[in-house]
Amino acid sequence: MKNDRTYKADVLQGTLILLVLRTLEALGPLHGYGIARRIEQISKDVLQLNQGTLYPALLHMEQEGWISSNWGPSEKNRRAKFYSITAAGRRRLAKETEDWRRMSSTIESFLGFDPRNSAEERG
Amino acid sequence: MSWSSVVAARLRGLFEHRRLERELDEEARFHLEMQIEDNLKAGMNPAEARYAAMRSFGGVERMKEMYRERRTFALVETTAQDLRYAVRTLRKSPGFTMTAVAVLALAIGANTAMFSVLNAVLLRPLPYRSPEQLAMLWTEDPTQNFREGRSALWDVEQWRSQNQSFADMATFDAMNTTLTGADGVEQILGASISPNLLPLLGVRPTLGRSFSTEEAEQQQRLVLISHRFWQARFGDSHDALGATLVLDGFPCRIIGILPPDFKIATLDADVWKPHTSHRTVRDSETWFVIGRLRPTVTFDQAQAEMSTVARRLNNQLPAAERNRGITVVPLSLYVVGPQSRLALWVLGGTVFCVFLIASANVTSLSLARSVARAREMAVRAALGASAGRIVRQLLTEGVLLAAVSGLIGTLLASAGIRLIRAFGPGNLPRLNEVGLDLRVLGWALAISVLAGILVGMSPALATLRRDLRVSGEEGGRSVSGGAAARRIRRALVVADFALAIVLLAGAGLLVRSWWYVNRIDPGFKPERVLGMQLSAPPAFSLPAQRTDLYRRVLETIQAVPGVANAGIIGDLFIANTREQVVTFERDNGTVSERQQFVGDEVSVDFFKAIGTPLLRGRFFSIGDGPDAPPVAIINDAMARRSWPGHNPVGRRFKLGPRDSDRPWFTVVGVVGDMRRQGLEREPFPQMFVPLAQSSSPHNVDLFTRTSSADPLAMAGALRAAVRSVEKNAPIYGVAPLEQQFGTYLEQRRFQTALLTGFSLVALLMAAIGIYGLIQYSVATRTHEIGIRMAVGAEAGEIFRMILGEGVKLSLTGLILGLLGALWLGQAGSSMLFGVTPADPLTFVGVSLLLIAVAVAACCFPARRAMKIEPIVALRQE
Repeated sequence: MKNDRTYKADVLQGTLILLVLRTLEALGPLHGYGIARRIEQISKDVLQLNQGTLYPALLHMEQEGWISSNWGPSEKNRRAKFYSITAAGRRRLAKETEDWRRMSSTIESFLGFDPRNSAEERG
Repeated sequence: MSWSSVVAARLRGLFEHRRLERELDEEARFHLEMQIEDNLKAGMNPAEARYAAMRSFGGVERMKEMYRERRTFALVETTAQDLRYAVRTLRKSPGFTMTAVAVLALAIGANTAMFSVLNAVLLRPLPYRSPEQLAMLWTEDPTQNFREGRSALWDVEQWRSQNQSFADMATFDAMNTTLTGADGVEQILGASISPNLLPLLGVRPTLGRSFSTEEAEQQQRLVLISHRFWQARFGDSHDALGATLVLDGFPCRIIGILPPDFKIATLDADVWKPHTSHRTVRDSETWFVIGRLRPTVTFDQAQAEMSTVARRLNNQLPAAERNRGITVVPLSLYVVGPQSRLALWVLGGTVFCVFLIASANVTSLSLARSVARAREMAVRAALGASAGRIVRQLLTEGVLLAAVSGLIGTLLASAGIRLIRAFGPGNLPRLNEVGLDLRVLGWALAISVLAGILVGMSPALATLRRDLRVSGEEGGRSVSGGAAARRIRRALVVADFALAIVLLAGAGLLVRSWWYVNRIDPGFKPERVLGMQLSAPPAFSLPAQRTDLYRRVLETIQAVPGVANAGIIGDLFIANTREQVVTFERDNGTVSERQQFVGDEVSVDFFKAIGTPLLRGRFFSIGDGPDAPPVAIINDAMARRSWPGHNPVGRRFKLGPRDSDRPWFTVVGVVGDMRRQGLEREPFPQMFVPLAQSSSPHNVDLFTRTSSADPLAMAGALRAAVRSVEKNAPIYGVAPLEQQFGTYLEQRRFQTALLTGFSLVALLMAAIGIYGLIQYSVATRTHEIGIRMAVGAEAGEIFRMILGEGVKLSLTGLILGLLGALWLGQAGSSMLFGVTPADPLTFVGVSLLLIAVAVAACCFPARRAMKIEPIVALRQE
């Protein structure tokens, strides 16, 4: 039972990690809310991000050394925790991106090869 | 990618628990506030903004839980949580906790202490190099069922040269030794060993060196001393090496100091002298023989080969000594014999049974508690605790309980070990090695964990089998909750009683054996007799001088007020049976036989002093002097064996084979058999000769019959009397004869007392167990009993119903236990004396006792049930 949950979370997390790393690489240091907003803005309607799951993922990434965090003042001069990508994070992002591309193209071609499946979709 | 950094971060998480929790809170709050602000800007009203923010965030607590799991090791974290919770719950019910801890701690303590004895005496290897290769070799006499006889050096030489199984064989024996020092002469423990003995055992002196074969051959006066003797006499000084000790009147040079606690098998001595192992002729001296097997040879192979060697040697032996065998016994089996082993395993098993009963009782208690806690569990389940989590929680409580008990139990065990070492039977070998070592601590840990699982598992199982939600809806009523728990508790009570009856039956059999053993007539009257050992100083080198010394000592002692009589014997107690070829004159000619046989020198009044009856003929008199014809008194066993159906008085016999040149003894009297090897050993043929006609030993046992109930009170006066005759004569081993004789019974008394004590504890625990169960049953059935009484049940009926419930359980246990006891009794039958393993009196007796206890334990709750007021019971709704 516990294993099931972990498995699902891992799948979700894999994607989430990619999104977070990409966001931090593009925008520089951001707090958790900022990351969540950014992901939602870009992927609205497609990805329903449960914002709460972001924080465990951030912790995990920090433990892995892909991102680092600092407490600092936010836009409205409130204390917030800012995350930034590390060198290891950039390498990870490159790898994740490549993996994702390969994976999606594989699935794409797989789906394209199945005549019945594609027929149904068109019909 | 970097599991190590994750582990490091999580380890940090373990310790930065609070800070991280606070930061997470702050981060979540910041997030929500930002979201709310954005929502407000988007035009929502405050309530809406807040609600939307919460919804898009998802469950805060759920996020935190996930976060926590990531932050550190989930198992450690939840275990710590379980532990904190367990401590809280246990502290909330101090009555239960203290009872459980006390019972478990005692059981674990007793178990650990007992295991430390088993460990030291049975499990730990003997302190020699490769001890599993060492064996004792005995000359065996199948015709007399005498398996462990000592052997002549000439024989051992033949064995050594004719076998392939043993790498080497060595010989040793204890020797009475006197040490002449500045303050007179004293008796010390001595041993004589062949020069190859220490290398054979793989033992080297810690200081100095051992003897060489050449030195032993040349009979050089060299000696090794024990570590204890070195510390006592030389205060650890290295000057001891090369120093001289005057032993038996001859100066001997110390060449080495043996390691601490060095013993050969059970032989412990202060001075160790060498003897030559070569004999060109076969003399009558006999020795203990120890051998080391070659590495790949088994004991069975060695035994087979030695039997062949014995057959081959047969026709080289004197006629009277033919048809004898050689027995090979592993050294460990010799050091701790089968009797002691069996007794220890039985005691170990007993204590383990007590432990099981204790665990069963505590389990039963915690089951009762778990039923009462059904609602708590239901609430926890409703709040989202998984069944697994609840089971783990209950197990944690059990393990915590057991851990605390185990800790206290180990402390108790270390106290118990001190007690055992102080009061344990002196004749149990290796008892001084008993202690808390890693293996004992490991055992304590293992049984604590076992107890924890036993105690925690049953409530957990019972909880699992109960539908948690149902009992939640049940509300305040606890009547139907815990059917599973009740079934387990009933089974536990049955098990309690079954184990208790096994132990009680065992104890009953041992108590009956004890009773029989103590009713045996030892063949003398030890009450009021003071025993002491006396040595003649080396100056008394001639037998006549010693005889004269002993005569004067006895005369002086008999003049002491309060002394009824006094007598001397060479050695009253027989430690090792010896064998001897004896030639008898019978009606149909002379016959030579080798038999178990001991001869001793006695003073004229010895039998009167010790209270041994004369059966035929006469005692010795002053007239039986050195110039008179040699006379002997024999014991009843010898009379019956050697001249069956005839009056032996006036008959003659001599030591050695028919052609020996030893003198003929004429039998002048027959005395009753004395149990000189302890009460439980059958007497064997023995002869006694007058001191005046003997070579008069250097060391003798002196027994004084006093008029005082406490003969020890006379010790000072007797010592002074001996000193007034000869001030240099060492006196030692002063003790009442009853006490000296009692040491033979120490082991039996120890095991009887322990088994009885433990079985009573088991019975008490079983009683408490059944009392608790019935009490609880009455409490939960108050309502039902109320209804029964309201519809007309008589108080007596209720009483019988409740009592019947208890009696049924105890009888089930009783029957199971009796079957077990019968079966185990067969295995332990060699511990019994005078009773059969299925002794009906014992079995009926302990069964009645058990039933009585069970009825008594159930009576209290049954009477309470009887007094239930129907109105009150029904109003409880």
